[in-house]
Amino acid sequence: MSTIDDRVQPAAVNIALGPQAGAGASQRAANPLLAFLRRVLLSDYFILYLTLVFFVGASAFFPTLSAPGNISNQFSNMWPLLAVAVGQTFVLIIGGIDLSQGSVMAITSVVGALIFTQVLDAPTFDKSPLWGTLINEQGGILASNPNAVLFGVLAMLGLGALIGLWNGFAITRFRMAPFMVTLVSMIFFSAFALWLTASRNVSGLPEDFTRLGTGDIISVYLGPKLTPEIPRREILPFISYPMVIAVGLAVAAHIILTRTVFGRQMFSIGTNRRTSQVSGVPSGRVVMLVYMFSGFCAAVAAILYSARLGIGLPSLGSNLLLDIIGATVIGGTSLFGGKGSVKGTFFGVAFFVLLLNILNAMRLSPFVIDAVKGVVILLAALLDITRSRLINRGVRA
Amino acid sequence: MNKIRIVGLLLALALLAGVVSVASAQSDITICFGFQDLETEFWVAGHKAITETLREMGITVLEYNANEDPNRQLEQVRECIAQGVDGIIIIPQDGDSAVTIIREAQAADIPIAVFNRPPNDRSRGITVVADNVSATEQAVEHIAQMALRQWEITQQPITPLIVVGALQDTNAIGRREGFFNVINRYNERYPGMFKDPIEVASEWDAATALANLEAAITANPDVDFLYTSSDFLFPTIRSVLEPRGKWVPRGTPGHVLMAGLDGDATACMLIEQGYVDATGVQNLFFEAELTMNRLLQAIEEGDTQPNDVLLDPGFALTSANFPWMAEEMWGCVLYFEGWLDQ
Repeated sequence: MSTIDDRVQPAAVNIALGPQAGAGASQRAANPLLAFLRRVLLSDYFILYLTLVFFVGASAFFPTLSAPGNISNQFSNMWPLLAVAVGQTFVLIIGGIDLSQGSVMAITSVVGALIFTQVLDAPTFDKSPLWGTLINEQGGILASNPNAVLFGVLAMLGLGALIGLWNGFAITRFRMAPFMVTLVSMIFFSAFALWLTASRNVSGLPEDFTRLGTGDIISVYLGPKLTPEIPRREILPFISYPMVIAVGLAVAAHIILTRTVFGRQMFSIGTNRRTSQVSGVPSGRVVMLVYMFSGFCAAVAAILYSARLGIGLPSLGSNLLLDIIGATVIGGTSLFGGKGSVKGTFFGVAFFVLLLNILNAMRLSPFVIDAVKGVVILLAALLDITRSRLINRGVRA
Repeated sequence: MNKIRIVGLLLALALLAGVVSVASAQSDITICFGFQDLETEFWVAGHKAITETLREMGITVLEYNANEDPNRQLEQVRECIAQGVDGIIIIPQDGDSAVTIIREAQAADIPIAVFNRPPNDRSRGITVVADNVSATEQAVEHIAQMALRQWEITQQPITPLIVVGALQDTNAIGRREGFFNVINRYNERYPGMFKDPIEVASEWDAATALANLEAAITANPDVDFLYTSSDFLFPTIRSVLEPRGKWVPRGTPGHVLMAGLDGDATACMLIEQGYVDATGVQNLFFEAELTMNRLLQAIEEGDTQPNDVLLDPGFALTSANFPWMAEEMWGCVLYFEGWLDQ
């Protein structure tokens, strides 16, 4: 696809930013500190550096932050958020936005749970429209099927992708604003999840499913063995199922974004949709597939959140939108499209989880925490603009 | 190479901070207290009773507000576990997530107590809960007696309405059960006294309750017997009944017989003024004391997985026993202290 403008890709831009990039280079060379700061600010790893600086600085004031148990815990908090943020990254790169991810999580969470739950309480669920036909005291739709979890998980992923596909279809075919389409989806599917369960949580999920959110593949113990039995709280997850699932998804997304024609087409559409269309990019199909992937990622996150909590939650994701978009933007994905990376989103999620950890350690009220999160996202957006200006100056020089 | 040097330097600093953290660890008892939004007087007073008492005892309290998000509460409890707290007290969002959170704490050998909103499986953890069925029955019994006197004179059937809570919460289930026990009992003894009760969902949310109650009262303007599963909804109920001329004190034509549950300051004031006739009282201070004492006992004995259900029998404050029982209700204590004037 020689028609796609490669300059939109971060890697290509960085080539123009080397010390040899023109007149500014001699000034920067005269001030090594300024040059160093500039290099750090423009680096793909800027958020990683910032995260580490925050971690070290905050650990001095709140020592528990650096305890191995806390670090392990923060990583486990990262995985579901990473899964859903990867989908949002794709959508933002093409210049869209997906507000429906939270409601996709809610509806897929309850649909999956209603398929494989082992028991349902009559007084709690008899107001559900499915009661007596698809669900009853003996459990969900496929409660007695040995492959219920497999079918349930596939249904969750399929439903998530389908809702995403609908969003993409409405945006491309009806030329509706992504904001409006996904806002309507958000409202509709949130309400649908509440209606389907009569606003009740679905419990009684089988262990085969809950293991996806809590199971460890490799656990570690750090420290001397002073007693015959190691206290359970000292045994930390090292490699867990949520980690494998989320990282696997992120790696696949990274490969799609950086190594395929489809990835290049996404950047092209995000930079200038009209130009990309003229250049032969099938923008409608790409947009639909991207929203479909976003819905799929939200369903993966729903699996991880529901499994670790052990319930299908009709309100799942209702408070997560700020975290999802926040982590993605902090990771360097532009709200204007055409820029972003899965690697950056990974760092953004790490930063966001650490930020929450620090704010909790400061014992701030949740309202203050939300306000601080908002300010940080604003700063991230401003930083993105500043970096873009610096990059443009470098390119012009 | 620069990148590697920077990351290496930062990791070394992190290690140093970790060493500092070990050196500065505290040795006294630390309790993690995780709660939801303190939206009602009951939770505000409960939060205050627990945190102030523990701090007066020299115990460090780490407070976490999950903002009605069970996933966030799970993360917060994990954070508490990672910090090595000695015990955990939670007010969960619902009975289902409470089960998972208790399992998480017990798997880490940390004793955990659940205050007032019990888990669906009460076999694990310390559960302190009011006997919702009993407290509701006592309050509804009082207004049913008043309704009976009215029915015996007029022979007009009474139209009862219940504002139910979120039914994934066992408190809400118990209160609904207590209400129906009384209605069914009276209908057996006095056939035709009560019509079929109208159920209004609140989901423990004032806005939801307002919308549903408006619809229910519009469709059934003859409602003359009302029970709310929580006292915090009385202002909402007032905003629906007042424009229809149904918010009037006892002894005035059109008075709706009303009872609630919690025993908060607003209910105390409304019983005193005659708008409300009874409320089932959860003995908040008693429950807070039970929770703390049992958890501290477990910590002292090294019992990492205490499993216990401690019941608060509760009582009813009614228009009849108000003069001598009001001082026993936590909400009246707050009301007499000027809580509602703040």
